[in-house]
Amino acid sequence: MCSDNKVVFGRRRLVIATTVAGGVGVIAGAVPFVASMLPSGRAMANTAPVEADIGLLTPGRMMTVEWHGKPVWIVYRTREMLDSLAGLNDRLADPYSKRRQSEFAAPADIRPETRSIRPELLVVIGLCPHLGCSPISVFSKGAASGIDPGWQGGFLCACHGSTFDLAGRVFKNKLASDNLPIPPHVYLSDTRILIGENGKRA
Amino acid sequence: MGKLNSTLRRLLEWVDARFPLSALWRRHFSEYYVPRNLNFWYIFGALALLMLVLQVVTGIFLAMHYKPDASINASGVPVAFASVEVIMRDVPWGWLIRYLHSTGASVFFVVVYLHVFCSLLYGSYRKPRELVWLLGVLIFMCLMAVAFSGYVLSWGQMSYWGAQVIMNLFSTIPVVGPDLAIWLRGDSVVGDATLGRCFAMHVIAVPLVLIGLVMLHVVALRQVGANNPDGVEFRKMKDGNTGIPFHPYYTVKLILGLALFLLPFSAIVFFMPEFGGYFLEYNNFIPADPLHMPEFVAPMWYFSPFYSILRAVTPDFVIVPGLAVTVFFFWVIAISRSSIKFFAALLWLLAMLGFYFIDAGFWGSVAMVGSVLVWGGLPWLDHSPVRSIRYKGFYAKLALAFFVASFLVLGYLGMQPPTCLLTLISQAGTVVYFAFFLLMPVYTRMDKCKTEPERQVA
Amino acid sequence: MSRLLIVLAFIPLVAFAGGGVALLDKAPDKSADMGALQNGARLYVDYCLGCHSVSHLRYGRLRDIGLSEAQIIGNSQSPGGKQREPMHSADARLSVGSVAPDLSLITRARSSELGSGADWLYTYLRSFYRDENRPTGWNNSVVENTGMPHVLWELQGELVMDDNQGLKLVKPGRPKPEEYDTIVSDLTAFLSYAAEPAASDRKWWGYVVLVGLSVFLVLAYALKREFWKDIH
Repeated sequence: MCSDNKVVFGRRRLVIATTVAGGVGVIAGAVPFVASMLPSGRAMANTAPVEADIGLLTPGRMMTVEWHGKPVWIVYRTREMLDSLAGLNDRLADPYSKRRQSEFAAPADIRPETRSIRPELLVVIGLCPHLGCSPISVFSKGAASGIDPGWQGGFLCACHGSTFDLAGRVFKNKLASDNLPIPPHVYLSDTRILIGENGKRA
Repeated sequence: MGKLNSTLRRLLEWVDARFPLSALWRRHFSEYYVPRNLNFWYIFGALALLMLVLQVVTGIFLAMHYKPDASINASGVPVAFASVEVIMRDVPWGWLIRYLHSTGASVFFVVVYLHVFCSLLYGSYRKPRELVWLLGVLIFMCLMAVAFSGYVLSWGQMSYWGAQVIMNLFSTIPVVGPDLAIWLRGDSVVGDATLGRCFAMHVIAVPLVLIGLVMLHVVALRQVGANNPDGVEFRKMKDGNTGIPFHPYYTVKLILGLALFLLPFSAIVFFMPEFGGYFLEYNNFIPADPLHMPEFVAPMWYFSPFYSILRAVTPDFVIVPGLAVTVFFFWVIAISRSSIKFFAALLWLLAMLGFYFIDAGFWGSVAMVGSVLVWGGLPWLDHSPVRSIRYKGFYAKLALAFFVASFLVLGYLGMQPPTCLLTLISQAGTVVYFAFFLLMPVYTRMDKCKTEPERQVA
Repeated sequence: MSRLLIVLAFIPLVAFAGGGVALLDKAPDKSADMGALQNGARLYVDYCLGCHSVSHLRYGRLRDIGLSEAQIIGNSQSPGGKQREPMHSADARLSVGSVAPDLSLITRARSSELGSGADWLYTYLRSFYRDENRPTGWNNSVVENTGMPHVLWELQGELVMDDNQGLKLVKPGRPKPEEYDTIVSDLTAFLSYAAEPAASDRKWWGYVVLVGLSVFLVLAYALKREFWKDIH
């Protein structure tokens, strides 16, 4: 009978058991610290909705409103701008907005052709889905825009060259692979949009 | 399994060729010989290190959310105070991190006081460990600074008014006092400027110094080796080494000590974090209000004995240190050469003039600072032929008992409003406190000690 | 020497000499009673929120005590926005003169040796009595010359102070006195919750941690004994 061996094995088992118990304790103890770095209730509070008054917005112009620390663009598109949208489908990476937005849910009543609730008013978040730069608006058409002769108007991200049309849809072969995201929003009246909350279905 | 082992072994060899990892392990753990009779008092040093780590880690995560700003926010609450409540309510697990930090602060002091008491018991401050001891005194002073500056940060009523009182202490210094106080506060009253610098001190400046001092403290200890309850140097044993390797024997004992400590510590954190208002003071749940002071302002419990001493030096009491200083200088003059006699007499005269002309408040501050500094003198005040209390005579044991009693009584009194009778008792306590140190050369020489064993007994 | 220590140990008792202390009634512990907390929240909004904000509490938090979104939001046009708002009072300055304090932490701030802050609040709200010398017409035996009027007077009725510093009911309110006590204890329970919403979580995790540590302690002790067999 190897009593020595028995002692050694008993000791080893105890060491392993204690180490495992201690390890579990350490990992359990680390969880609260790691979790504390997640967005706090206060950060959630920053997503409070914001009201945008578009009463003074005229066709062909754009305004910017801040929501959740991001720029939200409201573009009052002209008839001409809206007509140009259909013809661009084969130059776009995701013309029918099939890819889902990663961060928040767009309103349910978005029309896919114009990517908006009301056809003429585009409401998008003005941050490039690639790495978060804010694109510039280029509403002039053709060669004058400096982009390409077939340019119908839209947005250009100066950081890495991604371009978006007047419905915020990204062109093919660009570093950004998603269209400009649409924030939750609902119309409180003809001239007031509440950005940050979707309306209930009528 | 064998393949994993040999891979690990090869990895270790690779590191060892470039960094003394195995050598360090052997020198400080597996072949570091330690007395075999270290009892439960010896856990407190390691626990103090654990508390330091805990405070730093919880502090880092608190600092992610805390905002050192005394201005009033939209809800009418100071931003700093509100940020603490955000941590308590909105930050996931924030309440736990806060309670760990607040309980940790008080428990840190409990552990440190017990750690110091262990040294007092077994004479761990004696030669050759004087430097370990002095570094310890410096660490304690840094701890007081870090605790004070940290408490201001929650910006409650006690934070504010406690800071006000302590900052005003500096203004009692003659001539430079008021300007010094303004420089320290950053303003003529405690306010946002003070909060900002308390934040800088608490979060980075003092912790850096603390960590450096703790490293020096441990290095100095490793140089001379740990003391033991018999106070007998085991390394000098005639019959060779009777120590045992630190690893595995003291590593497993440490793990046990840790488990034993964490149980009551967790019980407090989870079930009574306020601890009757001693760890989290009730008045500090009210935001700082410069216009209204709470009924009773006192510093945190761990400063209480020293605060008692500060308050005990009333104008009537100044005669006591005056007498003590006189006795001291008479003794110096008696035993010194004639050249020194003159300077001693001059110093004595200056001291007497100081006691007469400068306010008692200043001497109270001096006494308070002195009550911490006097610990530093311990290695040279103790003239006992033996090291550990186990072999010291009756007087030393009596003195230690009196000292502990005075420390506890002063601690209790510091948390009460000052009445005539209580002030008298705290004055008596102050005398006993200082007598423990200052009369030590006398009573340790008078003592009849037992003979120390030739080797550690148990 | 030990005798000396014993004598010394009694010195602290001197501190208790002198100083009258008002006793506080014990507030019932309703921290686990969701119904009581919800009732307390409603009472708070009806009677207290006009002057006293609870600014560290957001409306959305009230979901934790079981109130539905509809109950919290009411008629707000922006439901999400309302949820994230802190519970501010309408106007703290009203007609009382001094600013009515924020009550988010009142039950933690008012704890003392006499009892918990909840006990204090429970007693305070039941200790108002008629006093024509005060501008509000009310005084309080817990806080002398308090600036707060007896907001709940319709529910409690009127008390007056008799010669022995006791309070007696002269005009009853609509509910019975025991019902008034329940109303006040619900309100107190809500404010206790508001002072530390994480309290119930804290205790639950406390049990988990203590059990886990006990297991670890058993293992650690066995491990130590095992190794120290070599030494002894």
